[in-house]
Amino acid sequence: MIANNRNNDISSHVRSEANAWLVACIIVGGLSGAYMLYQLMTVGHASFNTSSDGINWGLPIAAYVFFALTSSGLTMIASLATVFGFEQFYPIVKRCIWVAIVTLVAGFSVLAFELGHPFRMLWAMPTGMQVMSPMFWMGVFYLIDLVLLIIKFYLIVQEDWHSSFSRLIGIAGFVAVILASGMLGLLFGSVAMRPMWFGSFTSIYYMLTAALSGAAAIVVTTYMAFDFDSRNMPANLRAFAEGDQMPKVFATLIGITLVMILTRMWTGLWSNLDGLEGFHVLVKSPLFWVELLFGLVLPFWMMLQPGMQTRVVPQMTAAFLVLGGMAINRYEFIVSGQVVPMFKGTWVNSLEPYFPSMTEWAMAVFGLAVALGGYAIGEKMFRLSAAPAHEESGKLAGASA
Amino acid sequence: MAKWGMVIDLEKCVGCQACTIACGMENTRLPGEHWQDVIFFQEGEYPNTEIKWFPRPCMHCENPSCVAVCPVRATYKSEDGQVLIDWERCIGCKYCMIACPYGVRFYTEEKARYGGPNMKDVFPSNDAHSWNPPWRMPQEDWKHGVGVQPHDVVSKCTFCYHRVSKAPKGTVDLDPQNPATREFTPACVVTCPTGARFFGDLANPDSEVNKQIAYKNGVRLLDHLGNKPQVYYLTGEGGSVPATRSIKKI
Repeated sequence: MIANNRNNDISSHVRSEANAWLVACIIVGGLSGAYMLYQLMTVGHASFNTSSDGINWGLPIAAYVFFALTSSGLTMIASLATVFGFEQFYPIVKRCIWVAIVTLVAGFSVLAFELGHPFRMLWAMPTGMQVMSPMFWMGVFYLIDLVLLIIKFYLIVQEDWHSSFSRLIGIAGFVAVILASGMLGLLFGSVAMRPMWFGSFTSIYYMLTAALSGAAAIVVTTYMAFDFDSRNMPANLRAFAEGDQMPKVFATLIGITLVMILTRMWTGLWSNLDGLEGFHVLVKSPLFWVELLFGLVLPFWMMLQPGMQTRVVPQMTAAFLVLGGMAINRYEFIVSGQVVPMFKGTWVNSLEPYFPSMTEWAMAVFGLAVALGGYAIGEKMFRLSAAPAHEESGKLAGASA
Repeated sequence: MAKWGMVIDLEKCVGCQACTIACGMENTRLPGEHWQDVIFFQEGEYPNTEIKWFPRPCMHCENPSCVAVCPVRATYKSEDGQVLIDWERCIGCKYCMIACPYGVRFYTEEKARYGGPNMKDVFPSNDAHSWNPPWRMPQEDWKHGVGVQPHDVVSKCTFCYHRVSKAPKGTVDLDPQNPATREFTPACVVTCPTGARFFGDLANPDSEVNKQIAYKNGVRLLDHLGNKPQVYYLTGEGGSVPATRSIKKI
């Protein structure tokens, strides 16, 4: 009875917090979206700072990649419980799946405004069936991924966590998300004329760094829901948050990412292959060092300290730093791959300068507002901390004992 | 089926850019949107430097990476070997621009390429065209990327599809010196004052382009990337094909 009352208090508190978040997101998303739409309708895509001479894909594509891979990573983290049987991860599964849905929708939203003719895609892709194009397969697998996520979330809302159908959807979703993030990697990795992206490594890099983004996103959103204070959490979630399981997964993923960045950098800096000059530009960029030192090395060190693993503030700080680091990572990956221009005539410099325009920034902010607003709707409507009944009762019993 | 190809003799090319201008006039290009460009670059270190130039149309590759990456089949290879863009299918994703090793593609909606007035503002369009130039070409064929382009699509050199496709079937050489074929010959070939350009059927062993390639050891730009361009360069002693794209521009 006492536990029930406490859960009800928590739920009402979470809902009121979510209302505030939602209002903030509607204001920020409305303003940035209105500015973006005004620019697109009056100036068109000429309001972007991208150009045919050099950087064809800019910040909006980086934002799309960031959201899409974060979504994939969240699904991978949810799969730890739903596919691989690590039951201690159940308290975050529902939130993972909801946030995966909203981040994917945010990514698609940004991409739609970046494309010249997004609605044309709806008929031109199925009638074209260009199976040689990685972008075609990326679209197919992310669409399948979104549908499976929605089905899985619906099943969880219906308290169907473990039925064979629910499990099958979870497994299919995991396979789809591996393929989708792999195809997003292939989209860049298949183009031999862009050597900073080229190779099978890119798909692996995208899959594994997706998992890292997802892990950071679930830590951040879980704590956000409870005022950044684990005492506000239901007992099962609190037990999970104060354990060292998630930080260990987190540290492992940061470590893998650091190794991948290091191996990518030493190949790029050593090789004299035409087009790899972008790596030299990258190491001279302060943004890259911010990403590396503050976005990865510092949180890696923090999450390896036993004293910090189980405390809220270091966990939160590390997760925020990693999310920021990964946002920079997506941006510098996309842009540095294009700084060495293709053959482009008399007026092109040896390396291409690029800084996103206001419209491009507005698109990224709009995407963030969609993701956070969608997350707040989830908190408000769907009790995202729910876990399977036996999990909740078991952990509650344990906590009260 | 013909396999149209071009040969550019760098020993004869004087870098006058008449090809660039002729292409712009023929295809109603915006200032700076050079489907056919001449790249000027510098080789060597001071004081041993040399200024060079390099004409570069679309390569109309045999194995085009732009066609493979297009998610909607908007860019495609025609039966006669041209790589074309269907402006009614293009979604403006720019993946083809990323995948083209030769940098020949342009996105319609961009900032003006020169510091002067934006021609799209000076001649605004009131229909689906992205602008309304007073000197527009008479042909309009969006399925083949010909004409004043619509909004938010990618454009590029068509090998003057609107001229070449009207050549009588079985024509082997499109020679501007021959009155019978001149009007079907691409504008850049017609206008070249030194006769540095040849256009013909690469699939026919007796074509002039094949003879030129054989006599003077024709080479292709960035051949190692596997796109197999249908534009060949003759170097001889007068010019060279850049081996890399990181040439120092002037």
